[in-house]
Amino acid sequence: MRYLFPKWVKVMINKLKYLVKISLRKKIKTKWFVVVNALLIILVIGLINIDSIISAFGGDFNKPTNIIIMDNTKEVFNNFKQTFNLSQDYLVDYKNISIEQSNKTREQLIKEIEDNKNIVIIVDFDEQNFVKAEVISNSFIDNTLNQIIISSLNTSKVAYALETSDIDPTALAIINKPIDINRNILDESKSEQEETYSFFMGIIFPSFILPFFMLIIFLVQMIGGEINEEKTTRSMEIIISNVSPKTHFISKIIANNIFIFLQASILFVAGLTGLFIRKVMGAGSFNLGPEFDLNSMWQSLVSTGIVSRLVYVIPITILLMLLSFLAYSLMAGILASMTTSIEDFQQVQTPIILISVLGYYLSMLAPTFEGSIFIKLVSYVPLLSALLSPPLLLIGQITIIDVMISFVLLIGVIYLMMTYGMKIYKVGILNYSTSKIWKKIFKAVRD
Amino acid sequence: MLKVNNITKMYGDLKAVDNLSFEVGEGEIFGLLGVNGAGKTTTFRVIMGLLEADKGDVTLNGKKIDYTVTDKIGFLTEERSLLLKMNVLDQMLYYGVLKGMEESVVESELDKWLERFNIKEYKYRKIKELSKGNQQKIQFITAIINHPKLLILDEPFAGLDPINVKMFMDVIKEFKERGSIIIFSSHHMEHVELFCEKLVVLVKGRSVLEGKITDIKREYRQKNIVINGNVDINNLVKQNGVLEVQENQEDITVKLEDEKYVSGIFKYLSKGQNITKFVVEEPSLNEIFVSKVGESYDK
Repeated sequence: MRYLFPKWVKVMINKLKYLVKISLRKKIKTKWFVVVNALLIILVIGLINIDSIISAFGGDFNKPTNIIIMDNTKEVFNNFKQTFNLSQDYLVDYKNISIEQSNKTREQLIKEIEDNKNIVIIVDFDEQNFVKAEVISNSFIDNTLNQIIISSLNTSKVAYALETSDIDPTALAIINKPIDINRNILDESKSEQEETYSFFMGIIFPSFILPFFMLIIFLVQMIGGEINEEKTTRSMEIIISNVSPKTHFISKIIANNIFIFLQASILFVAGLTGLFIRKVMGAGSFNLGPEFDLNSMWQSLVSTGIVSRLVYVIPITILLMLLSFLAYSLMAGILASMTTSIEDFQQVQTPIILISVLGYYLSMLAPTFEGSIFIKLVSYVPLLSALLSPPLLLIGQITIIDVMISFVLLIGVIYLMMTYGMKIYKVGILNYSTSKIWKKIFKAVRD
Repeated sequence: MLKVNNITKMYGDLKAVDNLSFEVGEGEIFGLLGVNGAGKTTTFRVIMGLLEADKGDVTLNGKKIDYTVTDKIGFLTEERSLLLKMNVLDQMLYYGVLKGMEESVVESELDKWLERFNIKEYKYRKIKELSKGNQQKIQFITAIINHPKLLILDEPFAGLDPINVKMFMDVIKEFKERGSIIIFSSHHMEHVELFCEKLVVLVKGRSVLEGKITDIKREYRQKNIVINGNVDINNLVKQNGVLEVQENQEDITVKLEDEKYVSGIFKYLSKGQNITKFVVEEPSLNEIFVSKVGESYDK
């Protein structure tokens, strides 16, 4: 080091390190950092264990629901129960639901449901000897539960009708047997199982990108706020008289990105802690219906081979995210240098935030608009590619070559911002007037 | 030696500094004067390298001012340039380390200066909690903490009471005695007059008056006569060479167009009028400043 660089370079590197240290210390050594992060940790852990928290406080949802069937036909109960049990996984609290048959009278049963969540189903024959039913409850029935009851009753009605018809038992068995489907996908790179899960991955993957999206907004706001604070207090003149604008700019990018990673790490650790607490407390998986049971879904994904794609999608995502953080930082710094107050910057940052919102929404819409050329083209756009390319790659809508194009474009934009943005920054940070700002910027870029 | 060689700085079509040149040697205090918007701050920014001159250059001991020498420079800006949310120590460490100092050295220097300026109890106070005067003291300390070879002070006495002005002046004189090159601007001519050897007066970026203060005063032809006694002011005003007669609380000041009229006034007052005081004085720097700036605007 001593012989590689002249002394002043070493001095400038020391100053850069100090600027980074001060910038970080200003953010971390505050009571608000401690308070906000303590709250965030509590909230993240709480959100992960929200079902346990809700259950701990108790309420009507904890009361068991008994479906009491008064089967006057003596034929429907078994079929109903069997059909219902096949569908009950769709219900969040299916463990609290029981089905039983009763020989009590209608009046007795109605009297019994007055103070609880019981549902009474009275099954009978109509005039044409088809099954009919009356469903009685004290209040509204959960929509999903209601749908399952109706569906199970319909299935039972059809089953009884078929059984009592003159159809040959062998034919009846064939009718009741599930349809034999041979799914054939011509694209050899795509498997049948993958098809089922690609849609869900398209929904789930963007939700993993959500924290990244939030951190981008946070990063942009922090860099803008810090540069504007130094500008509006005129301390920028003293700082820039001792360190070059380039050093100052780089220090802001390094410090704020370190802070963002620290913040992300805190959230990540909080998330892991929440999951650990969940496991210790013996809570089940996030059961939001059979498709969203993450545990079983993960097992299925492993068997389909879609997980093998994650091996390269995850590193690509991380690399794109890192480059995107750099690009957003550069853009925020350049824009902040051009503005003369934090209010001005808040207005300027709105388009940046909207750009990232667009990327986030398109990543969620991608599975719906499969093969969309617009979405594919947008995935090349620097600043959006980190949000859009990984989910598209995962669900097979773009290829590695498309991702490479995104990388090249993103690196190109970063290079341009570092070359010309630095010139704008140099002029902008010591500019306190909004008049002829564009003229000054164009002059700076030309020079 | 600081040399400012024919610098010109344009803001669009506006010439903020127009072909300005001056030299300041070690141990000299140089005054850069002018009304608001005359180009003083722009000149300071060009010297500091914050702005690039469109023409001309600035050298310190024969070397262009760049980041290899800025550690040897102290700069006090006209407006407060402190991070208000920081405490005094952190602020000083921030600027001190950026000037290439060790943190421990910055702190010990800070203790010394806080004691000197009678504000040592504010070491851990946030800047925003301090009065304007005390903020100015902190800002002044940030400029001198590195014992600069070149000290640039843009309106250093703004917001200070006379006691603190004296305190600042004493410190500035100490730096002069140590051989620092000092440039400062002020709207208060009495401050400039008190300790500047040389000055330049700017009007619309151009120098309209420059040189040593003693030479400027000597070369300035107008004189003042301070008299005490029973004088018929109406007649006195009509005498040759009298520009203005000013009645003060205890005496009368007669402003003359040229010193050649002094004897005529003396003869006039000697004729039977009861005069107890007759003193010929050089005009104040303030009068010269107002006159020169006024002339330039008339042109």
